[in-house]
Amino acid sequence: MITSETVPIITMRSITKRFGGVTALENVDLDIRAGEVLAIVGDNGAGKSTLIKILTGVYQPTSGEITMNGAPLVMNSHADSIAKGIDAVYQTLALADHLTPAANMFLGNELTRTFLGLRWLDNAKMKLEAERVLKERLGVTLRSMDAATESLSGGQRQAVAIARAVYSTDLKVLVMDEPTAALGPQETARTLKLIETIRDQGIAVVVISHSLDDVFQISDRVQVMRRGRRVGVVETAKSSSKQVLGMIVGANEIEESAA
Amino acid sequence: MSSTSATTPAALNFRERTEGYMSLIGPMVMILAILMVMAVLEPGRYFRLSNFDIILKEAALYMPMAMAMTLVIVTRGIDLSIGSVAALTAIVMGYMVKSWGYPWWLAVAAAISLGALCGFINGMVITRLKVPDLIGTLAMDLVYRGFCLIAVKGIVLSRFPEEIVAIGRGEIPGFLPLPVVIGLVTLAAGWFIYSRTHLGRYAQAIGSNPEAAELTGIPVDTYKVYVYALMGAMAGLAGVMLAGKLNAIQATSAPFFNLHVIAAVVVGGTSLFGGRGSMIGSLSGVLLLAMMINALVTLRMEFFWQSVASGVVIIVSVAFYTWIQRKDRDGKSSLLEMLLTPENRRMMKFLLTIIAILALIFGLGGLMGPPVI
Repeated sequence: MITSETVPIITMRSITKRFGGVTALENVDLDIRAGEVLAIVGDNGAGKSTLIKILTGVYQPTSGEITMNGAPLVMNSHADSIAKGIDAVYQTLALADHLTPAANMFLGNELTRTFLGLRWLDNAKMKLEAERVLKERLGVTLRSMDAATESLSGGQRQAVAIARAVYSTDLKVLVMDEPTAALGPQETARTLKLIETIRDQGIAVVVISHSLDDVFQISDRVQVMRRGRRVGVVETAKSSSKQVLGMIVGANEIEESAA
Repeated sequence: MSSTSATTPAALNFRERTEGYMSLIGPMVMILAILMVMAVLEPGRYFRLSNFDIILKEAALYMPMAMAMTLVIVTRGIDLSIGSVAALTAIVMGYMVKSWGYPWWLAVAAAISLGALCGFINGMVITRLKVPDLIGTLAMDLVYRGFCLIAVKGIVLSRFPEEIVAIGRGEIPGFLPLPVVIGLVTLAAGWFIYSRTHLGRYAQAIGSNPEAAELTGIPVDTYKVYVYALMGAMAGLAGVMLAGKLNAIQATSAPFFNLHVIAAVVVGGTSLFGGRGSMIGSLSGVLLLAMMINALVTLRMEFFWQSVASGVVIIVSVAFYTWIQRKDRDGKSSLLEMLLTPENRRMMKFLLTIIAILALIFGLGGLMGPPVI
């Protein structure tokens, strides 16, 4: 277990985001540490999604600053954040169901070979690489690398989407938006196992979830958001779901713990 | 995830193993059916080498377009303008060689390039002006056909240079006819594009999940335009082949290219809902339609029955693929039980009502006696 004294890889300080007259986030701080699962919880409209969209470069903050390993970090697009080693797995997974797992993993970033000055796709190499990444990084072996992605189970599809993110070897932060929202109990357990696997490889995992059960099972710390503000950060081991629930709905006053 | 790795290979079920060949089963079954029917009815005239030569030449005309249409449909698109594009490019080529004195090969290159330009315009209408592909290409079909009529009025351009005629119906001694070679080469190139290039991969991704394609950074609109431009170029090539085959071209040539090609592609197992396509399927679809039309001609059926047959083949094959892909086929225990659902009973009553009304109308006509002339 990583203690709260570990230096954060990413710090976000006093992040404010306004859309026209609406303030979505106000003076929000966020610390992300390597090898740690940080859960962000909160009611609908609490600002969770806006916060991670700023983290992944999709939105730019109105004010506030982000640092990575102490150096200021400015991202103008999602491509910028990927280049810095921050990637996201969306709730819909963004997979093309008719393509093979390997084609999905390399979609938009295909491996090619050159012959007679022409460049074409190296399907065999992509298949081998995909198989290797799935097995070595995630411990997943698919029944067939040639079957369409639509024939995979929910957990396996999640594995393909995560493999796409971790393939860039210097992935430092992985953001997962509602990873277990559409999954049954068995597939949820597998997905949580995947999250543990990549956390143990020293990657910081940020999970947005509505399921407090999952949050308490997987996370090291929980950041609670309410109405665009951070209402607190608790260490999962020293907290209870009752306490977190109270913070989400704003039932009790809390003093901020670890920061 | 040990639980998944426990069920390692060899666990593929029948459907997963046959999935890749599904696109061939449909056309193959229908081709076999045609062969069997013809073996009974007209074996002497159908199973002749010269007849298969005719079938292949008929099919060759549609092969380049079927290749490009496969890619278009894989992106969830459709192009209804190809007949007019083919006619327009052939007319321009005709003027170039006959009136303006261009060499034949420059005119052919111009026809293909002009086709690509037409396809590019289609692509821009769809991606930049955001006109849905069905409406956009239907409207552009009218535009291109209009240009054809403006250009030639009622004239028939004919007697092209022998090289152009060779592209349409030339024979290579001891080998396949030249247009068949051209058609097969374009289909082979199409297979390569589909499975080995960014264009093919992105076409599948766009058709399979447009949002995901966008999220992974694929320039979706750009690749759609590429696909439509390829479609236009192949329609231009088909225009050259048609002009050579008939050794004549006029403004109203190639009226049903669009539906014929879409039928061949869909019969070949390419999904109209995008993402799934097959070049080999499209080849067998083109061959099937050519064999069917040839069979109708051999049986001395009236020309207009071709239209009926083409429509029936499309419906049968699309229904077949939809049925194949259904996950819960065995929901009911017996066929009768399946037919007697409340909804089906209601449909049955509705159908009977319509038939009753028709019977009443015709019956009334009968009561009034024969028409007075």
